[in-house]
Amino acid sequence: MISENILEELRRKLGKEQVVSSPEDLLVLGYDSTPGLHATPEVVIYPTSSEQVQIAMQIARDNSLPITPRGSGTGLSGGSIPVNGGMVICLNKMNRILEIDEENLTATCEAGVITLDLFNAVAEKGLFYPPDPGSQKISTLAGNVMEDAGGLRGLKYGVTRDYVMALKCVLPDGSMLTTGGKSVKDVAGYAFKDLLIGSEGTLGIITEITVKLIPPPQDKRTFLAYFDDIRIAGQAVSKIIAAKIIPSTMEIMDKATINCVEDYVKIGLPRQMAALLLIEVDGHPAMVAEEAEGVERILKEVKAAEVHVAKDAEEAASLAAARRTALSALARVSPTTLLEDATVPRSMLAETFALIERLTEKYQLTVGTFGHAGDGNLHPTVLCDERNEDEMKRAHAFYDELYEQVLAWGGTVSGEHGIGIAKKEYLARQIGPGGVAVMKRIKQAFDPKGILNPGKIFADDQE
Amino acid sequence: MADKEKLGNFTAKDAPEYEDVLQCMRCGFCLPTCPTFVLTGRERSSPRGRVALARAVAEGKLTFNQAMKEEAYFCLDCRACTTACPSGVKAGEVMEVCRSQVHQQLPLPKWQAGFRNFILQKMLPDPDMLETSMLPARLYQKLGIQWLVRNSRIMKLGPKWMDKAEGMMPEMHQPLRQQLPELTPAKGEKRGSVAFFLGCVMTLMYAEVSRQTVRVLSHQGFDVFTPKQQKCCGAPHLTEGDRETTRQLATHNLDLFLDLPVDAIVTDCAGCSAALKEYEEILAERQDHAKLDLFRSKIKDVSEFLIEQGLRTDNLQPINKSVTYHEPCHLCHAQGITRQPRELIKSIPGISYQEMKESSWCCGSAATFSLKFTEESQQILDRKLGNVKNTGAEILVTANPGCHLQLAWGLREAGMPQPVMHLMELLGQATPE
Repeated sequence: MISENILEELRRKLGKEQVVSSPEDLLVLGYDSTPGLHATPEVVIYPTSSEQVQIAMQIARDNSLPITPRGSGTGLSGGSIPVNGGMVICLNKMNRILEIDEENLTATCEAGVITLDLFNAVAEKGLFYPPDPGSQKISTLAGNVMEDAGGLRGLKYGVTRDYVMALKCVLPDGSMLTTGGKSVKDVAGYAFKDLLIGSEGTLGIITEITVKLIPPPQDKRTFLAYFDDIRIAGQAVSKIIAAKIIPSTMEIMDKATINCVEDYVKIGLPRQMAALLLIEVDGHPAMVAEEAEGVERILKEVKAAEVHVAKDAEEAASLAAARRTALSALARVSPTTLLEDATVPRSMLAETFALIERLTEKYQLTVGTFGHAGDGNLHPTVLCDERNEDEMKRAHAFYDELYEQVLAWGGTVSGEHGIGIAKKEYLARQIGPGGVAVMKRIKQAFDPKGILNPGKIFADDQE
Repeated sequence: MADKEKLGNFTAKDAPEYEDVLQCMRCGFCLPTCPTFVLTGRERSSPRGRVALARAVAEGKLTFNQAMKEEAYFCLDCRACTTACPSGVKAGEVMEVCRSQVHQQLPLPKWQAGFRNFILQKMLPDPDMLETSMLPARLYQKLGIQWLVRNSRIMKLGPKWMDKAEGMMPEMHQPLRQQLPELTPAKGEKRGSVAFFLGCVMTLMYAEVSRQTVRVLSHQGFDVFTPKQQKCCGAPHLTEGDRETTRQLATHNLDLFLDLPVDAIVTDCAGCSAALKEYEEILAERQDHAKLDLFRSKIKDVSEFLIEQGLRTDNLQPINKSVTYHEPCHLCHAQGITRQPRELIKSIPGISYQEMKESSWCCGSAATFSLKFTEESQQILDRKLGNVKNTGAEILVTANPGCHLQLAWGLREAGMPQPVMHLMELLGQATPE
């Protein structure tokens, strides 16, 4: 247990309000959105500035307390869970948008700014911040950077990494590092910024972020296509890409997901269909017209059961919003939802759906699949009950076999959720012992004492 | 319920169900919609945090302690989290049930418990006693004492909640229950019969509003039965953690109203309609399911009912004003009624409707929350008033007496000119004599 002396020092240097240590508060700051994972920190800090993060980090280092950074706790791989106790640094009170620079098309924010708040703030100035993870209305920007979050628009606009221009962070030795800037080009030395993005809070704690903004598309068209067979939906995706059309969004939901989402949103999704694709093309009106025609032609060719066009922006937005609820809505039907993040080259989509179907049968499970079909990024989700040991075993066997094939196809074990706690073993399989060893050396260089977010990405040497 | 197995550190009686807390997958979608989380930034004061605490109690990892008590009552029970939750978790209801755990596990000092029990178990269930108790308040206003008190600002010397409670008091009339005939006949072409459920706060504090509700219903072609033997719906008891008295009141009202020859049971109090719709759950283990089903199918908030039946607009007189609408939590979040009140407002000729930002964000009234947490309630109210101001509307419409009291008080304190009107008051104004 943490000593009263350390608590006192923290309170004195950071202010009473910033230090939380009552058992009830600690109890609810040791989880994120990953099922089955929970740990209790010994103290939680709510810093209000980069300097306060620095002070907290120094005190933790002097007292050998493990440190785990946390935003809103919406992660899906356990990245913000304080597995070794110690100190949690909650960044959601650092939530100011510091600057929207209309000349350089950048925005600079504190770590805890909510993704959607940034989107709305820049939209008011006629600008566009594309990354839109499912949890955008509560996820924090620094959390997005640390996990390199994707979203519905990844296909055309890329993921968080593609928009980060500069980062300010506090390193485990207590020093402050700024990397990158507003310059469009920057090849000065190692790209620390790129190393920090997706580092899952293991190399440093981000306190400030500068992101790139772009002009918003002038026009868009949204389609909803229904399919009798999910494999046909997979073929449609591959064919659209092969026709050199890059929609901004190409999202898929299978029958189980459609039904759960419809239970919640009640907007008339087709409950009897095997799958649906939500497709959006955007850009210059002339291009949108041309691409929309192409999409429609391909959907007809592959024999989609029905194709609908959203009648206005409001309907399009409600469809995207419905899609964002997919994971949480799947949680309606069972106490536990085990979600995965397998990603394959897009040409293998139809095969992947077939594989998921076969494995579901083989392991006698209930699986709902949805995801960013256009990115080859699927979220097969096992609907189960953590109290049923046998079922949990079968679920793990299901993922084991799935990942084996995904890797054989040249895919990855995580498209956008990160490795965290849950997928350490799969990462080792994907990159091999040599890859893990290099990653460990990088970690060592940043954090020789191993105090920052221990137990994530790869097994500690002690484990 | 009594023979149920005990769950962790909850007592067996009136405890949350384990499945209900397990259902939360911690996605956090509720966080930005929770007024107390947005206010404090504190996870334990969020729906996700509260459910996690309840789960810890259920799993024996936490005792039902002071923190549980605080969160059970700090929760506004506004149900915004229920609307926001794709997984179907009802954090507000879990906290409501936890309030009965508070009274079982952390009993109040004797004199306080005695007072609470007197109000909940003796006074509220007895309409005559309740009405008599309001006599001093009416005299207080009639004899000019209120004028004296308000002008002398003497209340500023006492605790904040007392000053606020005094300030919230609307102009009171004789309770409506005593005045309404058992049957108010339909006017024009008759379309059906309804029973009118007259809420306690409505009859005591907003008698003139409910008088308009009955008049509008009759004018719309409905016979309106108002049984004098009706009692409190039991909502105050639910929010104060006395579920047993709610069951007794519910049983009484259930039998009384099902005996009436009506197509629907209508109320103009969102808190009442929400509670009446919950009888099905509250009495699930005591009453015949078909009977509860029938009762549930008849309960309608008045706006829900009028839109279902179709509003007769041919005789409506124009009101040339701009109007905005604050959604009562117990209407929009507890019952999912959002479209109907707006449609009613828009169907009055002459009205220019201005949608406000965050219309479904709680006003901070939340039963006794506004008096227990005056500071926090004020901050939540200020957010609402800011949104009202931005619409520039001349009238603020709502549909629940709790919101009405809070908003009217808030607007007056802030020196804002808009009157607050109940939706049925507005519709009453447009309805010819």
